[in-house]
Amino acid sequence: MTRTITRNRFRCTAGAIAVGALALAAAAGCSSSSTSTAASTSAAKVTLVVYSAQGYDQAMTTAFHKATGIPVKLDDNSTGPLLTQIEASKNNPNWGLLWVDGATAFAGLDQQGLLQKGFEPKADWNSLGQQSLPADKSYTPTGVTLMAALVYNKTKVTDPPATWQQLLEPQWKGDVGMNDPSQSGPTYPFIAGMMNYLGGVNNGESYFTKLKSNGLIIHPTNGPTLQALTSGQIKLALVQSSAGIGAVLGDKQLAVKYLDPVTLLPSAIGIDAKAPAAERAEAEKFIEFVLSPAGQKVMQSGDPTGDSLYYPVLQGVSPLSSLPSLASVRTQTINPYTWGPKEATINTWFDSSIVR
Amino acid sequence: MVRQLDRPLTPAVRPARPAALAGLTAWAGRLARPLFWLLLVFTILIPCAASLVLTISPRLFDQGTQWFTLSYLRGAFTGATAIAITNSLWVSAAAAVLGVAVGLPVAWLAGRTTLPGRRFVAGGMWLVLLLPSWLPALGWQRLVQPDGVMYRLGLDLPGVTHAIMGPFGVVLLLGLRSVPFSFLAVTAGLAGLGQEFEDAARVHGASRIGALRLILPMLAPAIWSALAIGFAESISDFGVAATLAYNSNFSLATYQLYQAIDNFPPSFPAASAMGCLLVAAVAIPLALQARALRGRSYQMLSGRTRQAVRRQLSRPGAACAAAGVALFFVVALGVPGFGAVSGSLLADYGGSFSLTLVNYRAVLHASGQLGPLERSLVYAVIGASVTVAGGFIAAWLLAQRRGTSSRERRVLDFLLLSAIALPSVVFAAGYIFFYNLPVLSRLGVDLYQTTTLLVIAYIASSLPTSSRVLMGAVSQLQPSLKDAARTHGSGELTAWARGVLPVVSRPLVMAWLLTFCGVFLELPISQLLYAPGSPPASVAIQDNLGNYHFGVGMAQSVLAVAVAMLAVAAVLGGYRLLAPAGWRRIGGVRSG
Repeated sequence: MTRTITRNRFRCTAGAIAVGALALAAAAGCSSSSTSTAASTSAAKVTLVVYSAQGYDQAMTTAFHKATGIPVKLDDNSTGPLLTQIEASKNNPNWGLLWVDGATAFAGLDQQGLLQKGFEPKADWNSLGQQSLPADKSYTPTGVTLMAALVYNKTKVTDPPATWQQLLEPQWKGDVGMNDPSQSGPTYPFIAGMMNYLGGVNNGESYFTKLKSNGLIIHPTNGPTLQALTSGQIKLALVQSSAGIGAVLGDKQLAVKYLDPVTLLPSAIGIDAKAPAAERAEAEKFIEFVLSPAGQKVMQSGDPTGDSLYYPVLQGVSPLSSLPSLASVRTQTINPYTWGPKEATINTWFDSSIVR
Repeated sequence: MVRQLDRPLTPAVRPARPAALAGLTAWAGRLARPLFWLLLVFTILIPCAASLVLTISPRLFDQGTQWFTLSYLRGAFTGATAIAITNSLWVSAAAAVLGVAVGLPVAWLAGRTTLPGRRFVAGGMWLVLLLPSWLPALGWQRLVQPDGVMYRLGLDLPGVTHAIMGPFGVVLLLGLRSVPFSFLAVTAGLAGLGQEFEDAARVHGASRIGALRLILPMLAPAIWSALAIGFAESISDFGVAATLAYNSNFSLATYQLYQAIDNFPPSFPAASAMGCLLVAAVAIPLALQARALRGRSYQMLSGRTRQAVRRQLSRPGAACAAAGVALFFVVALGVPGFGAVSGSLLADYGGSFSLTLVNYRAVLHASGQLGPLERSLVYAVIGASVTVAGGFIAAWLLAQRRGTSSRERRVLDFLLLSAIALPSVVFAAGYIFFYNLPVLSRLGVDLYQTTTLLVIAYIASSLPTSSRVLMGAVSQLQPSLKDAARTHGSGELTAWARGVLPVVSRPLVMAWLLTFCGVFLELPISQLLYAPGSPPASVAIQDNLGNYHFGVGMAQSVLAVAVAMLAVAAVLGGYRLLAPAGWRRIGGVRSG
């Protein structure tokens, strides 16, 4: 009897608390859903969901909405989490277009059938753009950065290395730092580029093994690697060109140099093959806007010390004045459909053999 | 007699409740237990299960071609993964023990002695809890790394670098992180331990050590809770694993798991296999806890509980105790604080010692930098409020022997502790797999990438820890407290509010703050589940830290911690000002 009544008392008490908890949860749900409803009904057009890791994406989506009236929902995050979201939700995708750096990721998505093929906007490509266009037109290049740029402190390093082989010399023992490809999206294309340049995976592994023997220091991403450079832990940092040039703009003691050859890292947009037709049409308009003069202006002004420091892929659009000329630099393009499928294997090797 | 107690003795003087309210309460009461279990099933069990089932059936979630395979589980026992899991196991055990070894004496010193500055100890513990684990790790790393601050100040101590940048440093940091959990659990236990037990021991001739031998076993639920939480929190920690441990080339399971997901293409089944093993690892402290507490009752908090008397420390004793506690705070707060603040005041990636406020100006004036902090504040308030309500119910079910079967308690216990051990990133992936199922979309349940689902995930992931923290206090509640109120004519809710709430008000406030702090800067769940366009603080901070805006990210971190500190101060101050004096006195101590 006592047990029964105690149970009833508990039920009453717990019931009151549960009702309160539900009310709060419902309140949270209502506020959220009302917000999204308001967003989707503010215009008759469907909402374009943009997944982007670009520093100027907020400025770009705002400008696009202003120019076209198309409502945009922006998911701005690093490349890794965005790709993780896409892979986790691929049986019921929620994105309209993806805008990140690195063609290998797009090749991987394309090979899984997740990208719309065959769209090429009306654009007057320059040579960088021509080199970055995929044959099946499953993604569209919007700019190019280089991987990796050599960043150093001019006051401490008066005679920086001129070739990739010189990084292996005892003079630079313990002085070279780079990013971890498992944490830094642009770093795998750099490693793949070195393997491509050196004649294959085995030669590339041999090169990085020697670099490790010479005291290579790995940091997670561009920011920490540059921090290691400025704090004096390393003397030479191998990072994405836009990060390096951005650091130079903030610290005049730093300088950037490109070693021969340097790998092109296109920033690109791919459209979700499973998105509704109306959203895919809007995504195509978004790409055309990005490649228009107005869009290029936004790209070059939206993140002046970061992603705006890119090399344009269109005729008639000049890079920002702070970017070093590519006239005397040999660039190379890696085939993303060859190197993309090797990414997991090579990254795992790099993690177990070079990082550890 | 039992029959008489079942009904209030003075029904005539009790005002009649409105029929509608009585009906609503009774209706809610009948539904409460199944509803609570339903919520647990949908917010914890199914997402966790979805994540774990993926290990053996990747095809089910479109993450592979096999409908059934054990290859991912086998893979978790080989190579680098096996090493990482082994490392995680022993490091987490050591960290949990370190947490109790430090937290227990600090809780006793602050709660039962005249320790100088004892008023600040609880606040300091909250500050330790406030810091996301990656922040102290970065602070320590910045101090001791080659060419770090220590070397710049002329302290050439490679031995210290070697010690901190390795397993010792990892155990130290995870152990320090466990200290507040131990402190809170033991403080709650001490609050219910009246002076009468110690007095009884002394009256019967026991020495101080003898009295301690009597009291320590009475604190067993709190100590075992602290060990279990410390182990589970350490084994599922990602902040230290991804910073100090990673940079020390000391691989932990959560980082290995993260790599499986962050690689391209990600391998969710491999990550889930590691998640399975981590969840299984929680069985270790759970089994030990059950074995230690089996068949014993720790209900000792009643209406007759007497306030404890503070022990007067001698001058040398007080100095030693204060120095020890201060050392803990220097190690746990001073170093990371220095790392974060110095990082936020340097504009050029830390290349020089010239200080500037440019990063703070960027946070305060650049668009999109303050919004995430405001957003996380709202999420944390909602999350903490709902979590504490749910956590109390769960703690009640776990602790009270009346009305709950032992099987129900065991199932609930394992479910909650497993959820603590399941790495957040796997937990969040489970949310995507389940709540983004096409069948749910067809049913009109489109929660993925909404703030609602993010907040639900925050609540579900915090509820297990919250219930653990509350369990120490709830297990000490004697049913007589509410029975007494009922006997004196109070209604059901009034009896609870007058008989039970005053006794548990302080632990409830503490649990609220704990959840608030955990949600405010939570990273892995936020990273995968936040609504597009509405990043919470942790996502925005990581974005800045990982890119070219290290100083801005550190400034954002410092501001976030400051905001959280203000919130904690406001809640603690509000409780002190608004709670009736009797509420604050119950479980408190008086000067001796």
